Amino acid sequence: MGKILGCPMKRTKGSGLVKWAGGLLALSLMLTPAQAQASDGTSYVYDGYTYDFYGNAKESPAMFLLERTISVDNLQGIPLSGVNDVCTSQDGRIFIIDTLESRFNVFDENGGFLYSSKLIRTVDNKIALAEDGSQIMLNAPEGIFIHEKEKEIYIADTGNKRIVVLDLDTYGLLRIINEPADLAGVSEFRPSKIAVDLANRIYVVVQSSYEGILELTGDGEFSGYYGVNTPMISLADYFWKSIASDAQKEKMSKTYAPAFNNITLDGEGFVMAVTYDLSAEDMVFRLNSKGENVLREEGNTLVVGDIWSMNSSDTGSQFVDIAVTDYGTYALLDRTKGRIFLYNFDGELLNAFGSLGNLKGEFKNPTSIAWLGSKLVVSDGTLNCVYVLTPTAFGQAVLEGNRSYYFGHWDEALVSFQQALALNANYEAAYSGIGKNYLMKDDYETAMYYFKMGNNRTFYSKAYNGYRGGWLEDHFLIVMVLFILLVAAVVGSEVRYHKQSKVKQKAAMKLLNSRKGRATE
Amino acid sequence: MKATVKEKLSYLKQSVFHPFDAFYEIRFRGKGSVPLAVLILAIFGILQCVSYQYTGFVININDLAAMNSISIFMTWVLGFVLFIVSNWSVTTLLNGKGNLGDILKVTSYSLVPFMCTLIFQVFASNFIIEEEAMIVYVITGIGIVWSLFMLLAGLCVIHEYGFGKNLIAILLTFVAAAIILFLGILFFTLIEQMVLFVISVGQEFFRRL
Repeated sequence: MGKILGCPMKRTKGSGLVKWAGGLLALSLMLTPAQAQASDGTSYVYDGYTYDFYGNAKESPAMFLLERTISVDNLQGIPLSGVNDVCTSQDGRIFIIDTLESRFNVFDENGGFLYSSKLIRTVDNKIALAEDGSQIMLNAPEGIFIHEKEKEIYIADTGNKRIVVLDLDTYGLLRIINEPADLAGVSEFRPSKIAVDLANRIYVVVQSSYEGILELTGDGEFSGYYGVNTPMISLADYFWKSIASDAQKEKMSKTYAPAFNNITLDGEGFVMAVTYDLSAEDMVFRLNSKGENVLREEGNTLVVGDIWSMNSSDTGSQFVDIAVTDYGTYALLDRTKGRIFLYNFDGELLNAFGSLGNLKGEFKNPTSIAWLGSKLVVSDGTLNCVYVLTPTAFGQAVLEGNRSYYFGHWDEALVSFQQALALNANYEAAYSGIGKNYLMKDDYETAMYYFKMGNNRTFYSKAYNGYRGGWLEDHFLIVMVLFILLVAAVVGSEVRYHKQSKVKQKAAMKLLNSRKGRATE
Repeated sequence: MKATVKEKLSYLKQSVFHPFDAFYEIRFRGKGSVPLAVLILAIFGILQCVSYQYTGFVININDLAAMNSISIFMTWVLGFVLFIVSNWSVTTLLNGKGNLGDILKVTSYSLVPFMCTLIFQVFASNFIIEEEAMIVYVITGIGIVWSLFMLLAGLCVIHEYGFGKNLIAILLTFVAAAIILFLGILFFTLIEQMVLFVISVGQEFFRRL
């Protein structure tokens, strides 16, 4: 079976997808261990696709399949009604924020229940009290972040307008960050999503704030607003505003910068953010220290999710959350079509899969996504569950390939991408990946072949540059001789032309003189 | 007055470098050649197919798997035929002195610089990297501008127009081309319906036989 799947199948229209889906199902049943299946024993198989260079959607096996669902059944009687954010720790715990029940729930990586609380306790398990003596209860929290470096949990206690910091091991209270006294701007301090970087700076997203991401110091003092989210300005607006008088302008609706909607940190400590505001110019951000967007978009498409719209009311993909691996590959969660888009650090679309619907594994209102090792954890606010998705053989190969490439392990990357290619011969990202690895090894000719297959012109050009340089070096003598011959030919023809024209001139002068002589006679 | 083949070719060359003089000779002294013009147009069509496929990978963004050489050839050649016919129909109304053959000769002859740079582009693009693509594009651009200049000069000469009137005539040419296209599409749609009608009547007839 593996052998059959290993050889590249000839894909015909129509039957190709069925073959692949069937092959994938068989492969996943065969290769994945027994526990890597949904609790009812069946695996949900997503239909995946990517975009080729020409913007055509190319069928592809999905990179992930449903492993298990964590729902109210896993909670031992505790209600679950508004899953809003999900987060994972490095030791494999899954943290779920339930906005409607004002709770945070903790599970182990197999969905086993570990902890759940709305009342915050101290580190030694006593009921913690706030400064005014009241108990510390969560109130409609919207976000959670695990700060591995300091072993802390940050919970955005949105309803109480504060951030609660807990200990990662005991879930005991460490400190509370209230609204900073010197908070500038007009945004209300209603923290919704949080990220904390390696320097302990706290980045807070306030929904519908047009001032950017709120940046706090580690002690909770206001430090500034961060990140630029430029609005799109239509030409018509520009025209009308340019001819309007000041009084008219005052009555016109102002164009505000769109809000950031979710935030996370990548492996290098850059803040990555998404927005689903339709007026925003960019949808995905990788912010440098100046707050500018430095996201790489070197793939076939820009990092926008779906590139075609079905009709005029189709707004395109709207990303509610982003999850980044330490090797720069990130997953974007789209709420309009319930899809998950995976991009590598270069912005190449690796895979898109998922859909809205009522089947197990489909989404109603996806809210949050996080990586759990190489698995994905996705929460849904309406279905009130968390899906744990595990990579398929294809997904494993692609992820491994990108990880090895990112860390410079060319040989391992090559093997992984070849595996991916064996499972999907139409996969341009794998051709490109193989080509890049040959390029790194200075095997320019092979690299050129693979870049051509992967339709990657920029890298083909780089490989060709190396190839051409080598060719010129090898054939330096011939090239030089040809060049000298060419120069000699040009100079020679010039010289001959001059001689000829001089001869002609002399002849003409002779003729003229003889005529003159005749005339004088 | 009949010009030899060699002379015709020499006037083709002269039209590239001295368009006003050469097109004057072509128009008023019969130095041009309709077969040569048709040949140039055909070569131009073939060259476009060649350029679609053989332009170097670095700057060739065409989907080679979806290449249709007949469609490429027809698009370019019929596009110019459309231009020639509509220019002729406009200039007859605007006191243009050139006849259909003159317009054909001018249009085809003025394609020559563009064709030369296109050949260069196809050849050179196979040996360049992305950073050098701009050089090739600039050279092709020069060819296009040269061709446009030749076309404008030629049309001025053969129609005995001033520059302004020539521009107006060319603008109207595009309007006329749009009308011709519209009528053509209308014609073919109606013919198709008629043919379908006859076919279905025939089918009905033979089924009831």
